[in-house]
Amino acid sequence: MSGLRNRYCIVGVGETEYSRDSGRTTRAMAVEAIGAAVLDAGLGPGQVDGMLSYQLADSTPAPWVAADLGLRLNFYMDVLGGGSSTEALIGLAMGAIEAGMCETVALFRSMNGYTEVRIGGTGARAAQPVRGLDLAQRPYGMTSAGQNFALTFMRHMYEYGTTSAQVAHVRAAHSRHASQNPKALLKERVTVADVLASRWIVKPLHLLDCCLETDNATCLIVTSAERARDLRQRPVYVMGVAGRVSKPRTDFHWAHGPITRVAGYFARDIVFGQAGVTPEDVDVTGSYDAFTFTTMLQLEEYGFCVKGEGGAYVSSGIIELGGRRPNNTSGGHLCEGYTHGMSMVIENVRQLRGTVDDYCPDGREGKHSYDYAPGRCRQVRDATIAMNMGWASPPTGSALILGR
Amino acid sequence: MPAVEYRGMTLVIPDNDSEWKEYFAAARAHRLILRACVACGRLRYPPSHGCPWCADLGWTWREVSGRGTIHSYEIVVHAIQPGFRDWAPYPVVLVELDEQRGQPTADEALRIVANLVRPDLRPEAEENVAIGKRVRVVFQDLADQVALPQFTLSDEPPAGRVWRLA
Ligand SMILES: [Zn+2]
Repeated sequence: MSGLRNRYCIVGVGETEYSRDSGRTTRAMAVEAIGAAVLDAGLGPGQVDGMLSYQLADSTPAPWVAADLGLRLNFYMDVLGGGSSTEALIGLAMGAIEAGMCETVALFRSMNGYTEVRIGGTGARAAQPVRGLDLAQRPYGMTSAGQNFALTFMRHMYEYGTTSAQVAHVRAAHSRHASQNPKALLKERVTVADVLASRWIVKPLHLLDCCLETDNATCLIVTSAERARDLRQRPVYVMGVAGRVSKPRTDFHWAHGPITRVAGYFARDIVFGQAGVTPEDVDVTGSYDAFTFTTMLQLEEYGFCVKGEGGAYVSSGIIELGGRRPNNTSGGHLCEGYTHGMSMVIENVRQLRGTVDDYCPDGREGKHSYDYAPGRCRQVRDATIAMNMGWASPPTGSALILGR
Repeated sequence: MPAVEYRGMTLVIPDNDSEWKEYFAAARAHRLILRACVACGRLRYPPSHGCPWCADLGWTWREVSGRGTIHSYEIVVHAIQPGFRDWAPYPVVLVELDEQRGQPTADEALRIVANLVRPDLRPEAEENVAIGKRVRVVFQDLADQVALPQFTLSDEPPAGRVWRLA
């Protein structure tokens, strides 16, 4: 099951500022992010002829932004969905190109997740009528992502003895990474004690176990390996991709346990099988850190540690810059900003290029100090294989393995 | 019965609803009913049209005991829906019903999300919420044809290890 290993590449990445006051429309931000990615790739006018986006009725459709960029499209699709979309849509972009529908696809997510439709579920989202399957949970005051996932986290603590302090290391590690990232919304380093002292949101989640609500747009450009050779950047190859892989009973995943098992359990053989590598071969990971716990669950399920030992794994130092396999070197959704998964793929593309945008004066040209003190470097030395783990919910996830 | 207002939410259960209407109407009569497959006999929740195990489209309603065990829980301290602010902190529990536990495979069960409430339907105090405690269904009447199944602690001894977040 080798799929299309190394036949497609991510050739351009771009994003807008991560903020809580964009002061403009999702259309304006999408245009900026896509434009930045096109420039990054070194693509000429009109060379992007495919576009994919994902959204939760909170964004701008592809046809609206294409004209702003002078693009006539041979393929576009706006997909309903949030987390787990980035990796899945990279696979769909490859499929569209492979089918001869188009040649080069820009994939974007644009949202005012703080100032317009809040990702945390307050405001307009809380006021929506409750119907269909939502009747199984929302009437019980279970509506936000944290509320929807907390039962999984609590059961993990029961079954495996996982502690709040263990998973708080995820926040601490990602905050260290964010302190080397000029783009990050929260650059201040926090400790495990800070996480445990922050107020409760929905037990077992403290405030600092939860990610940020953010305004931003992000973009990736996918094309074939042949076309990538003529472009500006060192190509980053898609070795394997899986998404949106699901647990049984997606109507109500609680029915099919163990409820501490998440979708990565079913995605891992697909993605590692295509890539022809094992977790040991991966140098950098990008987890979906909507919450500290989600990082732990994904790393367990994809085989970076034994199931149930995720608490020990994430608190061991392995996931920190300078550790064996750093995770979310940008600071991720917990600290850099929330993008529904795309920013962690962008970060891993830059890691594999060796051109992470840290505080090293010539970091973007690939000259790094590898000094991981605050306000310095966040480039991983000789990163050759990176993995991203997308998460929509406990029963749905996506995965991507990239190589240089 | 098109819509019911509850805690600032509009619960929409239209006349053509072929999943929930009878479930909530039975709850209003203080009966917990689940769908049972006419081919393989297995119960399922939430109400759906095909059997998750044999895909047969034939089903019938069957009443269950409403007794079970807390499989997991959370305590909502920061309410997201404005209508729940005066309820916080409130527990959400995942109840595993006694019927069909571990069937047809070991990790499967009939599990239902609800609030853990006191007999007066106020949220149960956090220190009384724990995985492993036994519960029974109670009904929160909302309208002529709609009640929410909820759960309250029963006086039965716990099932297995009892644990709560310290
Ligand atoms: Zn059946």
